[in-house]
Amino acid sequence: MKKLIGLLLFAIGLYLAVFVKVPEGNDNRTKNNVNMARRMSQLGIVSLGAGTLIIAGGIDLSIGSFMGLCATVLAVGMQRQGWSPPQAIAVVLGMGVVVGLIHGLLVTKLRLPAFIVTLCGLFIYRGLARWWAGDANAGIGPGMFKRAFSEATPLGLPVEFVYLVIAAIVFYLLLQRSIYGRYLYAIGSNELAAKYSGIRVDRYKIFAYVLCSLTAAFYSMMHLAEVASVSPSNVGSMLELYAIAGAVIGGCSLRGGEGNVLGIILGASILTLLQAVVSFWDVPQSLEYAAIGGALLVGAIMDEVLRRRGPATAHG
Amino acid sequence: MPLLRFGSMVALVVLVSCSSGCGKSGEAKTRVAFVSNNAHEFWTYAERGCEKGAKEFNVEVLFRRPPQGSAVEQQRIVEDLLLKGTKALAVSPNDAKNQVEFFNKVADQIPLITQDSDLPAGSKRRCYLGTDNYGAGKAAGGLIKEAMPDGGQVLVLVGSLDAQNAQERRQGVLDELAGTKNATGPKLGDKYELIDTFTDNTDQAICKTKVDAFLVKHQGDPNKLAIVGLWAYNPPAALEAVKNAKLEGKVKLVGFDENQQTLDGIADGFIHGTVVQQPFEFGYQAVRLLAALAKGDNTVLPADGVLPIPHMVIKRDNVAAFKEKLKQLLAPPAA
Repeated sequence: MKKLIGLLLFAIGLYLAVFVKVPEGNDNRTKNNVNMARRMSQLGIVSLGAGTLIIAGGIDLSIGSFMGLCATVLAVGMQRQGWSPPQAIAVVLGMGVVVGLIHGLLVTKLRLPAFIVTLCGLFIYRGLARWWAGDANAGIGPGMFKRAFSEATPLGLPVEFVYLVIAAIVFYLLLQRSIYGRYLYAIGSNELAAKYSGIRVDRYKIFAYVLCSLTAAFYSMMHLAEVASVSPSNVGSMLELYAIAGAVIGGCSLRGGEGNVLGIILGASILTLLQAVVSFWDVPQSLEYAAIGGALLVGAIMDEVLRRRGPATAHG
Repeated sequence: MPLLRFGSMVALVVLVSCSSGCGKSGEAKTRVAFVSNNAHEFWTYAERGCEKGAKEFNVEVLFRRPPQGSAVEQQRIVEDLLLKGTKALAVSPNDAKNQVEFFNKVADQIPLITQDSDLPAGSKRRCYLGTDNYGAGKAAGGLIKEAMPDGGQVLVLVGSLDAQNAQERRQGVLDELAGTKNATGPKLGDKYELIDTFTDNTDQAICKTKVDAFLVKHQGDPNKLAIVGLWAYNPPAALEAVKNAKLEGKVKLVGFDENQQTLDGIADGFIHGTVVQQPFEFGYQAVRLLAALAKGDNTVLPADGVLPIPHMVIKRDNVAAFKEKLKQLLAPPAA
């Protein structure tokens, strides 16, 4: 709980840091809130998938490439092959299920390390995306698809934010309110113990991989709807690192078994806000990654130091 | 009390820095922005040009480069710049065809100009400034003529042919050699012949491998062969392959852009010459236009909406001076 409050304060601090730099008037501040909510929601959704997998003791390094492949398939399908949006969406969600299943089966049945399986995926999906698009950019025009995943503003909120709220509720019910969630935490903390207590470990792990790939597929729709353009050679690159970082900042342990929905969303918000701080405080662009990484590292160090000091004083 | 203290500390720092910094926004300069399409060194020269322009025209220039060269980064950068009170914007669109809608919306809010790469016809940009790639291609064709006046065979290397600048440069080369418009080859006039055009998906290693293989198979006189590389990394790849085949100095090489290896190759006499763009001028001229447009002065706009930035031809006689100039431009600006 304290960790969540700490994250929340950190996020508020960063938000204020951005807020003071946005000039008043012209609805600038509202527009900026909408922009940030949009970016935060996209990252939040994919972080929820990555976080759930991490809680179950897995990892997926192919998120960025896979989301790039999905975005490419969507754009190429709708632009060049005349797919209707529902068709394209169905194809991509189907890809999410299939790819998640493949990852899960390779990890559980063949006992390959998740790191290797998904690292190979990282290369494979990028290659497939470039091949599928013939190494040319693809894009979509205005229409139903853009409205559904980016331009609509139900209740005045960016539609991505609505999707995030829905995803958060679903993941909350699943992870923190259902028996399946308990199984995932148990598997992540101690797979062997979970197995001996009768949990069908493989089945739930595969399920976690599918969830992760599905959120990446969903992200690709919001991404394409926002940008309207896909360059297969770089779309989504490094997204996996942002998604994993979001989950880990939010309290997921890479050793598995730890983390919760609110923390993951706060983690994703902090990453988004850090990028906004870099942008609005005119941090030299060449230092952008260094600034984000540095801020996160300082946060992690403070967290660890204070955590260690905490029990010592309590017992002392 | 883990992140709790850290969080409140950040909030505190923000409040303090705000109270000290928020007051002095009174006499701020007009803000204009220049957005590149990636973080390539090319843009550092443009940034120097922007800095010169900022001083001369008394504006603040926000210079931004999408670190991974993706359209999403670029659009988010532009969104943030709009909110920061940018009054005019110059951009090199990452994906011109698919970003028209986005940039038209931007152009509805503030004056927008494109540089380096243009939006498709009919967009709302006020003006385009950049290299005339067809003219630059003709200049490269001229270099081939110089190096091989009695005629011969020509091989063209480029990353991909779907890029507008690749098509224009290549056409310029072919037209110059053929002495006609819209030359297609393989026969180019009486003296020259286009053997092939190799593409490599922007991969220098693939480019070199293809040239390696070509030189092994090639039967003709190496002194009657010219290789022209249209993108920055093509000439170095060709040079490596030619050295590999021990044909340096025999095969005539012509290139584009100011890759260090290309310039060294020119100094060594293995590359006849290269056609370079002037990114410094991109930056300087863009700021000149932006500063005026931000004040509502539209008289600076060229009548046809295009401001060509001339290319330069670098050969052995001027390569040393050119290298020195680049070095000065890359040095951090004096504070």
